[in-house]
Amino acid sequence: MGIATYCVVMLSVFPSIHDNKSFAKIFEAYPEVFRKLFNVTDFTTGPGYLGAEIFSVIAPMLLALFAILWGSDLAAGEEDRGTIDLLLANPVSRRRVVLEKWSALVLGTLWLGAVLEGTLGLLGPLFSLSVGWAGLSAAVLGSSAFAIAFATAALAVGAASGSRGLARGVATALAVASYLLSALAPLVSAFQRVVWLSPWDQALGHQPLTTGLRPANLSVLGVVVVVLLAVSLWSYDRRDLAT
Amino acid sequence: MRPSTLATRAEAPDPSRARRAGTDATRSEAPIALTGVTKVYRGGGGVRDLSLEVGWGEVFGFLGPNGAGKTTTIRMLLDLIRPQSGSVRLFGLDARTDAVAAHRRLGYLPGELALYERLSARETFAHFARLRGGPDEATVENWARELDLELDRPVRVLSRGNRQKVGLIGAMMNEPDLLVLDEPTVGLDPLVQRTVHRRLREAATAGRTVFLSSHVLSEVAEVADRVGLIRDGRLIAIERVSEIRARAVHAVEVRVGAGAGLAALEGLGGVTVRERIEDGLRLEVVGSLNPILAALAGLDVLDLSVHEPSLEEVFLSYYDGIAR
Ligand SMILES: Nc1ncnc2c1ncn2[C@@H]1O[C@H](COP(=O)(O)OP(=O)(O)OP(=O)(O)O)[C@@H](O)[C@H]1O
Ligand SMILES: [Mg+2]
Repeated sequence: MGIATYCVVMLSVFPSIHDNKSFAKIFEAYPEVFRKLFNVTDFTTGPGYLGAEIFSVIAPMLLALFAILWGSDLAAGEEDRGTIDLLLANPVSRRRVVLEKWSALVLGTLWLGAVLEGTLGLLGPLFSLSVGWAGLSAAVLGSSAFAIAFATAALAVGAASGSRGLARGVATALAVASYLLSALAPLVSAFQRVVWLSPWDQALGHQPLTTGLRPANLSVLGVVVVVLLAVSLWSYDRRDLAT
Repeated sequence: MRPSTLATRAEAPDPSRARRAGTDATRSEAPIALTGVTKVYRGGGGVRDLSLEVGWGEVFGFLGPNGAGKTTTIRMLLDLIRPQSGSVRLFGLDARTDAVAAHRRLGYLPGELALYERLSARETFAHFARLRGGPDEATVENWARELDLELDRPVRVLSRGNRQKVGLIGAMMNEPDLLVLDEPTVGLDPLVQRTVHRRLREAATAGRTVFLSSHVLSEVAEVADRVGLIRDGRLIAIERVSEIRARAVHAVEVRVGAGAGLAALEGLGGVTVRERIEDGLRLEVVGSLNPILAALAGLDVLDLSVHEPSLEEVFLSYYDGIAR
């Protein structure tokens, strides 16, 4: 809901920017550093504006934060609230509980991504803005993959520790660090060599809105997710659950 | 969610009952067998070297003061925590590696009951029924009627006793082979408490097994066949309730019209005179009251009072003695 509202707001300010010639001038004067950091490529064309504002930072981050909140609750939530005793008294294994909840998270995140895509794709023309469905899908997939990766990281920390707060904190910090690594890489040469380590860079660094889907990058994230999920299952299965 | 084969359950107490309760073959192994189980927390609490077997058709009361290790033991039965050593077996299955198979046959009420606050009782039961494959809605409604529980209000607004009912029905509604109940009657009014006890007795009569914990012997004695006493993480005694009762000392006061026959009471086995009063005696009677009642039958009894000391006193004083 929040994301959809945000999209509407952003789209409605677009025409005024588009018509404003002087805006382009200000834009030229933008220091190089900021242009790179905030990924401002070209504000005055459709994909450029969308890419800069929504897909470059805000939408992936919102989606990821939402998924991290969910992921941190997957294993640690019912333990925190004490309902895990009742749930596991049923003939269900701990692994099954985690796997089913994780599947729900993946579907939920993809669904939210689809809502995002639908909102932008359908409302775009109303604001004299056209984005190709292919680019849009690629950007949504990239954002969802990024969000799912960090939600699964939150799941892993929660599964191992039983603490929702720790899971949320660690996963959020890693997600932000991953963004900063990718965003600052053009400016800091030391980051350039390790920027491939950043899931953000893998998922969104190549500007999927304009350059399209890169399956290889997505599968790297897929491997990360599978490993984190395996760690979650293993660590949740072997420890004592708190009352 | 409501398979037609299950729909007959509510009305007919029929062959399916025997199947559900387990055939002879599935009942060859003890429902609960703990051997040398030790679980010590970092703070030093926990249970040590606990061995215990509970049989079919038995109501077993697990008795102990706060912090004795009751909940620790019970959560090990459920595989929520794991012992450092020893073995925990349910129906002959390993409580950990065969947890899913074991849980199919048991119902559990946690000591610190936490419910899904946003669900109603009905939704809570439906959630568990989906995971367990039953029971149907009619059965749930019967239980709710019997314990006087409102099914459609969110659990969040229920009183403590009503929340406890949600937990109890959740554990009992499938009529499992084994019921593991951590302080089941906490917060229940006496009427509901009696209903629950009656249901537990019925389960045992049908050959199923109940394991329940409590602080209060008198309450456990109402329903249990055997009682185990745990203190500081050690099981210090297991006894049949009937034997505890038999050991109970009654204080008897008798007043008679003509004092002549009283001498006959003094010679009876198990009877000690504590005090002679004007027209009668104050006595202590160990075990059965039948001999003294028989002796009184020939006398002109004006007044007779029998006071039973609390079972607690009997049980605890006895084991204080042994422990020393
Ligand atoms: N997670 C834990 N970490 C450390 N110590 C614990 C933990 N859980 C229980 N203990 C300690 O283990 C001991 C046994 O606790 P347990 O909860 O089994 O007692 P109980 O018999 O159920 O008590 P009560 O009647 O109060 O419910 C207590 O001393 C308790 O402080
Ligand atoms: Mg307890």
